[in-house]
Amino acid sequence: MKKQLKRTILEQANVWIESNQKVVLARVIHTWGSSPCPTGSSMIINEKGDFFGSVSGGCVESNVIAECLELIKNNNLFKQIKFNVSDENAWDVGLACGGEIKIFIEQINS
Amino acid sequence: MKIQILKEIIQKKSSKEKFAVLTNLINGNSEIFEFGKFLSKDFESSKKEIENYHYLKKNGVIDGTQIFIQNYIKPIEVIIVGAVHISQYLVDLFKNLDFEVKIIDPRKYFITTERFPNIEIINGWPEKILKKLQTNSNNALITLTHDPKIDDPALRYALKNKFFYIGALGSKKTHIKRCERLKEAGFSEEEIDSIHGPIGIKLGGKSAPEIALSIVAQLVSETHKL
Repeated sequence: MKKQLKRTILEQANVWIESNQKVVLARVIHTWGSSPCPTGSSMIINEKGDFFGSVSGGCVESNVIAECLELIKNNNLFKQIKFNVSDENAWDVGLACGGEIKIFIEQINS
Repeated sequence: MKIQILKEIIQKKSSKEKFAVLTNLINGNSEIFEFGKFLSKDFESSKKEIENYHYLKKNGVIDGTQIFIQNYIKPIEVIIVGAVHISQYLVDLFKNLDFEVKIIDPRKYFITTERFPNIEIINGWPEKILKKLQTNSNNALITLTHDPKIDDPALRYALKNKFFYIGALGSKKTHIKRCERLKEAGFSEEEIDSIHGPIGIKLGGKSAPEIALSIVAQLVSETHKL
């Protein structure tokens, strides 16, 4: 039998859930200009702030993680977040690529 | 997203099915889409557009709706003929790129699980093995033995079955001789020219990992032309 050496992003999400952790899935749903990750790129975040995968070239990940933790804290199910060049937060964390991205974050729930 | 959907995606991905995940951005509901499948009321009014995006393998928010579609397509299956040193590096590089890999070699001492753990290896002559496999234009062939009696039957099979990528290792001289043999076997110039030989893009390196990298780079660039 073929064994998988590396877990995919969604498999890792499942592992976290099975160990009773809250998990948020973040997916790029729209991009404009030269954003680094294509539509469909995903990242998962658990309640401790551990993350796996990516939604940009490292530009907005820290903001996305903060938003995901907030989603868990407020017990909301989903939210859309948009980053662009004129966005101060994005600049703070270095979205220097000149692109814009829209990200959909959602809790994985039973 | 419901945990059941997540588990279903994982299962479908591992069994290499073609499907899509739909998400209604207004209420957060998600479901799995396949051609011919019944859609719930969250999505049914956009069935035509969903089918069109899925057909085009296009990810994104469907125009004029609040539906996000993410497509999962069948991975490209690479068949490597020759369980040689380069193949060991190819296996690792391809895994990170989500390509499926199989290795065929009639030489028992080359094709061992010690040399190739966690990968499908088939000990036998390509001529016989390939006939048993289900192949199509989603397949790529890489021949690495530069022994005509092992490589040539595989190349002939891949040409006949319209593999989307065919590459053969060997020097320019070896490749000229190879092309002559294929011409004698009745293949057209156009078919023979479709073989990437000598295989790989020019990186300049000659070590096994460098050659593996040049092959992977060429195959990836070909996939983006599809």
